[in-house]
Amino acid sequence: MSGKKIASIALASLFLLPSLTALSGCNRGGEIVLRVYNWEEYIDEGGKGAFIYDELHLEDGEESDIVDDGYRAWYEETMRTPLSEDGPAILDDFCLWYEAEYGQKIRVEYSTFGTNEDMYNEIVLGNEYDLLCPSDYMIMKLAAEGRLERYDDGRDENGEPDGSYDFFDPALPNNYYVRNVSPFIAEKFANNAGLEVRNDENGKPITWQDYAAGYMWGTTGFVYNPNPTDRAGNPILFKDADGETTDLGTLLASIGWEAFTEPQFKGKVTAKDNVRDTYFAALGVKYQEELLTLTQQFAGGSLDKQGYTDKITGIFNATDEKTISEVEPVLMDIKKNIYGWETDTGKADMVKGNVYLNYAWSGDAVYALDLGEDAEDEDGYIELNYYVPEAGSNLWFDGWVMPKGANKQAAQAFVNFLSMPQNAMRNSYYIGYTSVIAGEEQEMLAYADYLYGEEESEDDFYDLSYFFGAETGTVGIYADEAQRTCRQLYAQFPTPDVIERCAVMDYYDEQASVRINELWSRVKAETLDAWAIVVISVSVLAIAAFIVVAKFGGKIDFFRAKPKKGYKLVKQETVR
Amino acid sequence: MKIPHFSRKTLCIPYAVFLIFFVIIPMLVIVFYAFTDKNMHISLGNFIRFFSDPTKLSTIVYSLVIALITTVICLLIAYPVAYILARSKMKRKFVILLLFVLPMWINFVLRVNALRELFNLLSSLQGMDWLASSNYFKTVFGMVYDFLPFMILPIYTTMLKIDPSLYEASRDLGAGAATTFLRITVPLSMPGIMSGVTMVFLPSMTNYVVSDMLGNAKVTIIGKFIYEYFGTDWHMGSMVALVLLVVVFVSTWLTGGFSSEENVRGANL
Repeated sequence: MSGKKIASIALASLFLLPSLTALSGCNRGGEIVLRVYNWEEYIDEGGKGAFIYDELHLEDGEESDIVDDGYRAWYEETMRTPLSEDGPAILDDFCLWYEAEYGQKIRVEYSTFGTNEDMYNEIVLGNEYDLLCPSDYMIMKLAAEGRLERYDDGRDENGEPDGSYDFFDPALPNNYYVRNVSPFIAEKFANNAGLEVRNDENGKPITWQDYAAGYMWGTTGFVYNPNPTDRAGNPILFKDADGETTDLGTLLASIGWEAFTEPQFKGKVTAKDNVRDTYFAALGVKYQEELLTLTQQFAGGSLDKQGYTDKITGIFNATDEKTISEVEPVLMDIKKNIYGWETDTGKADMVKGNVYLNYAWSGDAVYALDLGEDAEDEDGYIELNYYVPEAGSNLWFDGWVMPKGANKQAAQAFVNFLSMPQNAMRNSYYIGYTSVIAGEEQEMLAYADYLYGEEESEDDFYDLSYFFGAETGTVGIYADEAQRTCRQLYAQFPTPDVIERCAVMDYYDEQASVRINELWSRVKAETLDAWAIVVISVSVLAIAAFIVVAKFGGKIDFFRAKPKKGYKLVKQETVR
Repeated sequence: MKIPHFSRKTLCIPYAVFLIFFVIIPMLVIVFYAFTDKNMHISLGNFIRFFSDPTKLSTIVYSLVIALITTVICLLIAYPVAYILARSKMKRKFVILLLFVLPMWINFVLRVNALRELFNLLSSLQGMDWLASSNYFKTVFGMVYDFLPFMILPIYTTMLKIDPSLYEASRDLGAGAATTFLRITVPLSMPGIMSGVTMVFLPSMTNYVVSDMLGNAKVTIIGKFIYEYFGTDWHMGSMVALVLLVVVFVSTWLTGGFSSEENVRGANL
């Protein structure tokens, strides 16, 4: 076979490959395929550790409060299947529900990603999905770049109602999302358009709500060990600014973001190994004073709520050159002071006592706190707490979006299915994060009460009215002081004042993105002094030169000794 | 029935297709990305940005140093082991060889994780505090631990091939043990050394799993650099990858990797 032929076969297969993969993605034999691309470990997978299994297998033959007859009845009515003792996975249940509800077989192709950027790259490369779960800033980026389908709003291009499916119509029986979503979240999604208003192709300003339905939300803060001990088991004491002895919790509350650069925490605090979260944290360290002043102004009434939110959002999203040059030394200080950059080892390092503080997302914090409770040591268990800096932090949302070309009907059905309060509980329980679902009948309140509730007592009221869209002071649960101030409840359902002082991330435009990436690469890079670079380069070159001489020296006249008088130089090859 | 006849050329087709799809095209894509900007216009911007940034250069140099140290330590450990094993008349020496190679059969991430836990345990002991923050030491240790078999095996196989009569001849001609070692063993085991060096040197410049897990991601080697850039800026990532490629190419060329002499590559695994 000639070379030409080989080349043409290769070319032909090059064109064949994409069409082959395209075939596998569509409707075959009456079965729909829903391609879901979600974060790793971000959905109920059934079995041990899942809500239903754990409730069905309580110790000592206890009766479950939540998975009672009502829950069982709901499950069997919704999935049209008896509740399995093995703990069903939510994706399987969706297929059962969808087939029963819409009369068509469906299969979920579920894959996962580790970072928003990984997911974005996959989409840009042309991988096709029906449903993605990016975070706030990435939702905005995808929407602004025109990569997303809008949720159906029952209107035609001119905004006139045309009788088509409306995802936001609470009257339709299967529209669980719009009926159950927390009013607080719905308001955020309806109004958040990022730092600046961006328009879609029709010139309409974009908000999250057009393109995304919420899934999970939370804050970022520090998981900390309030009572760290040394090897001998003696408590470690810290000194505050006045030189007074204090404990870790008090010190942390007084220094806030500066925990990253606090010399007493040297080698005992971790930062995130990604530029978005760590740059955000460094801004917090750098501008803590300004942020605290703003908080005081807001508390004193000289700044209204909108103005306050705009100002802190501006500070936490600043990417201009001046800010970057101011933050760079802070990042270098952070690098010197921390134990390490981590992506998922922080929780284990906290429980093992390798570090005292771990910068974490609220859901991971809940997970770390749970791990600590499970870990056995001499004092019973390891107490860990969660703290959101006084100066403000990050308020984040993950939501479901449909990329262009998605099967909108099945994708929206999936979102609605996950938005049933019973399913929201399952997901929330499994992954430790907080669902955006409140429930039509405030079902999630019962869930929070079931997890953290205590005997009723006037002083122990934890107000969750904002989340359920009720008047302040009317809806909430009774929990002990630790839960209300520094433990799982506080992490999962932040207090209204925590939310007020938190800012949502916006995406970086192209130039800002280049600046931030370069900054990050400088921070992560190994720094060598100029003389060290010169010394090392020279020695490497010397070694290289030595090898070259040793290898080829004999073949080059220049390196060869002059022949003695009366002898003639001959080529080495002939001598061999 | 006619037996289908495959000519030599026909049999080459699968290999050619493989080469085109998994070697040549990806390589061209990397070169293309390295010399284009965000709008896919040809640009030298990445090239200039890379070589005018001291932090990037020092990361490469650092990476080189870490890889060099790892390689030298591996060689110092592996050479005596291979020498003793190859020369000894032990009956079951393959058992010892197996013990060195066995870890390769256990999942790599698992081993690194175990090492991480071991270091954590050690650093909590009296007087071992320094271990917790010595990320470079732990990284190099982990790399030596992981890549040692790749050094031992090729050296061992080349040494097995050395004809024992050469040692006898050397002894007969009056050479002492040291001379025999320097003039017979070392030169003849050179191909094995070279092959071992390439197999240890290259992964220790790029295997950032070790540096992330044991060095708490505070040690940045060039592989990690490439990985991070590919999260956000493919063009710069490709440029770094290309620079690494050149470094590798030059070092392979210098160590005789491209020589077609039979015995040079013979020891490769």
